[in-house]
Amino acid sequence: MRKYAILLLRLTIGAVFLYAAYTKLRDPWALFAMSVDSYKILPEWAVLAVARSLPWFELALGVVLVSGFVLRHASVVAAGLLAVFFTLMVVSYARGLTIDCGCFGPGEALGPKTLLRDGTLLSLAIVLAVLAMLPAREITPPNVAPEKITMSA
Amino acid sequence: MLTAVFLGTFVIVGLAFAENPAKVTKVMGTPVSAITIEVYSDFQCPKCKFLHENWMGPLIRDYVRTGRAYLIQHEFPLPQHTYARTAACYACAADRVGKYGEVCDVLFKNQQEWEKDGKVDQTACSVLTPAEAAKVRTLAKDPEILAQVQKDVDLGMQARLTGTPTVIVTYKGKHYPVDVMGSYSIFTRLLDSLH
Repeated sequence: MRKYAILLLRLTIGAVFLYAAYTKLRDPWALFAMSVDSYKILPEWAVLAVARSLPWFELALGVVLVSGFVLRHASVVAAGLLAVFFTLMVVSYARGLTIDCGCFGPGEALGPKTLLRDGTLLSLAIVLAVLAMLPAREITPPNVAPEKITMSA
Repeated sequence: MLTAVFLGTFVIVGLAFAENPAKVTKVMGTPVSAITIEVYSDFQCPKCKFLHENWMGPLIRDYVRTGRAYLIQHEFPLPQHTYARTAACYACAADRVGKYGEVCDVLFKNQQEWEKDGKVDQTACSVLTPAEAAKVRTLAKDPEILAQVQKDVDLGMQARLTGTPTVIVTYKGKHYPVDVMGSYSIFTRLLDSLH
């Protein structure tokens, strides 16, 4: 059961990261830089660095999650990254910024819908990280009493 | 005689071109430019004021006047803004007398005043000569101008705008909606990367 839950979660979250990377990489990188800059948190040099590197990082993370390679580390990194995104979104929404979310390319306003979606993704990523970190249980045979052998004459 | 005619023509054309760069109109630049920038704005929206006062000047100077971009300014008065449509009509009317830029400037500059008292006419006409003001007042109520504003709104609805201001950069047939809360310098990187 746990194995299937991990499989489902890593494929789902991995696909989301792959899609997020695709929507950013198909457009000019400066377009994503505009979205990052609109959060008004980072200085310009950091905005440019994030805009150039984050889509590739998301792509790599998506590939690693889908493949299942180094799952423990990848799941923790995914949960951490989504936690950062979610925190930034909540803070910006609370500050009353009417900006693009920047999650899956331009044109998607930051609002309750995007917060709910990213919050759900974060929850799923945390569950995946917890499941991946738990030590795998050994499969032991059920404790059955030995059958009584009766000898008949 | 012929030389004088040529010289005269040359001077007149030269003056016309010398005067043009100072003018800000609803549509600016050359349509054959590689990049088209469409701006949808509402005169009562604070973010549109920010865009107009921080982006439009440098954008026109760096990209439109240099022939690198074709700029189209659309009116998109939001229904919740009581005087925005009237302001849009005045701006469009002012465009017909060659004072679009001036009227836009004064409307955005005094946005907080006229949105309270509704004195759009007084604000818009403050930068016009009496003759221009009279013409603009008439034009602002002209069905043709009202239709022009509505056409801009319809275009915005077709483009599925979610709010104002919206800047759409078009390059090689592809449309890029831009988040204008970012800085102008990063926007220039986008435009430069498209060339």
